[in-house]
Amino acid sequence: MITPAALANIRVALPSRAPGTNIPVVVAIVGGLLIAAAFLAFVAAHWTDLARLVRLAILLAGIVGAHGLGAWFARAGRPVLADLCAGVGSIIFGAGIALVGQMYHLGGDFAGGMLLWAMGALVAAALTGSRGVLAVALVAASLWSSMRIFEIPDVPHFSFVAIWFIAAGLALAWNSRVAAHLVALAALPWWITTALQVGLEPSFVLADGAAFLFGAGLALGVAPWQRASSAGAVLSIYGAFSLAGVSILEVATANDLFRTHAGTVSQSLWAISSGVAGAIFAFAVATTTRRAGAAFAGIAIGLVLLAAAVWSTPQAGEPWRAYAFELCAMLCLVVSGMLDSTRPRIVAGWLGIAGVIVAITWAVKGSLLHRSMFLAVAGAVAIALSLALNRLLPRDHE
Amino acid sequence: MIETSATSFAELFARIPKIVLFGVAALVQVALLTLMIIDRVQILREGTEVTLQTRPLDPRDLLRGDYVVLGYDISQLPAGSLLNQPTGTSNPMVFVKLAPNRDGLYEAVSVHADAVAVASPEVLIRGRVAHGATCGSSERAFCDKLQIRYNLESYFVPEGGGRKLEQARNQRKLTVVAAVLPSGRAAIKRLLVDGEPIYEEPWF
Repeated sequence: MITPAALANIRVALPSRAPGTNIPVVVAIVGGLLIAAAFLAFVAAHWTDLARLVRLAILLAGIVGAHGLGAWFARAGRPVLADLCAGVGSIIFGAGIALVGQMYHLGGDFAGGMLLWAMGALVAAALTGSRGVLAVALVAASLWSSMRIFEIPDVPHFSFVAIWFIAAGLALAWNSRVAAHLVALAALPWWITTALQVGLEPSFVLADGAAFLFGAGLALGVAPWQRASSAGAVLSIYGAFSLAGVSILEVATANDLFRTHAGTVSQSLWAISSGVAGAIFAFAVATTTRRAGAAFAGIAIGLVLLAAAVWSTPQAGEPWRAYAFELCAMLCLVVSGMLDSTRPRIVAGWLGIAGVIVAITWAVKGSLLHRSMFLAVAGAVAIALSLALNRLLPRDHE
Repeated sequence: MIETSATSFAELFARIPKIVLFGVAALVQVALLTLMIIDRVQILREGTEVTLQTRPLDPRDLLRGDYVVLGYDISQLPAGSLLNQPTGTSNPMVFVKLAPNRDGLYEAVSVHADAVAVASPEVLIRGRVAHGATCGSSERAFCDKLQIRYNLESYFVPEGGGRKLEQARNQRKLTVVAAVLPSGRAAIKRLLVDGEPIYEEPWF
């Protein structure tokens, strides 16, 4: 039993609960969203009846109103609602660009509109500290970059990288894991669309991108600055999952049916450098911190890059070496995660192993019997290795 | 060192009232939207007026509401001296020299990859090649025919107003007066049917 006096003492001793997102707040958010939707539907129904300047005034008032409400919530100590309002303000800003373009017959450069949206949202994110606005800015910037990549399909769109670094700077300044996740996520569409450019081997460029993200994340993760190490840990998670995804993709697209290039494809220097830099980062971390986990991560990166390089060369028959490299790489990823006690990396490695085995088993080309033999031999080697390690390594429990 | 500077900057930033930060964010976004309009006003105010003949096109795009798609006689042009020249991109910018004919309608004289000097009453208008820049062995050279967009291709009208304009366009009765800056940027200023103004674009 707790006496009333003890209860009062406990309440005094405990810090007051921060006004976060509780049930009344959630209900209030839903109510606010419904009212906003009703208002939008009403305005949309009468949009063409309104004078142009009235329409413009509604758009501008929407932006000012959303940010004003955000400021009010921020002042009242309601950061989630403030973030939400700033996000809504930036979405209205994006809609405003489209509608102003329509009202003033400015249609044409859609990608340019996306860039304007990204810039406006990025400035708002920097000022308000809103993660929602940062997400809006990165989505707009990714759309802009993708459109420009398809307009100029033989030159990488490096302008996006500048915006990405600004966003990364904000994530560091805020010391926010959410922002770090958004920034890491935003790197993926750029690498994917870039990999699809003319004259590049997609799997190799994707492998380079995953290697760079993973290696740079590991290097940032051991930085003495807490903000950098926290952001680096997030980047390395995305890097590990990307590496597993690329590994599966490489095996799945090994078949000639999926190969777009019949001849030798020249790889661009920037892509190769990114991949090599990723591996160097991982081994540098292993050397400086004397962590075996980072060394295994470096080996995983190196094996995936090597497999991608093997694949770039046209060859007859099934690429057994590459299959073996991918399996070893994913095994190294699991071991790396176990040694560093990093669960996401372990999960990425297991998913990679499962995906690679599935991709080998269901490959369209070649003999199923040969693939069965390959998997059996690989399994036997793994069990032999396990037995050897069991004898060599010290045991935790007797 | 970096950490200390960043921390002190963050502390300094935290001291600024939230209302100021959110206010500046709103102001920046409002300013960017306003700049879009002011930029167009500048073209309408300072641009040289050129009258362009429209040509029939496919019906409106249902996905984009009630607006008229405008095509012009200057939208499809022979590449001329640009034929087989390298483009760099699949949608390169080009400059088209226009000159008035006997009826006062402006027609294309030549197409250029870069801006060239023109003498009055000639006007240089800037456009982007939509189709016709993917020829040659490298697929990065100008083809013999170019389809060019001048940012004058869509005109949004009040609901129900599009049909009348489309009919006039398809009967070649619709002409467009565009304002063109010396840099080549253009904006629609007026729509004429049988030479009579039916839509006049206000500045704001």
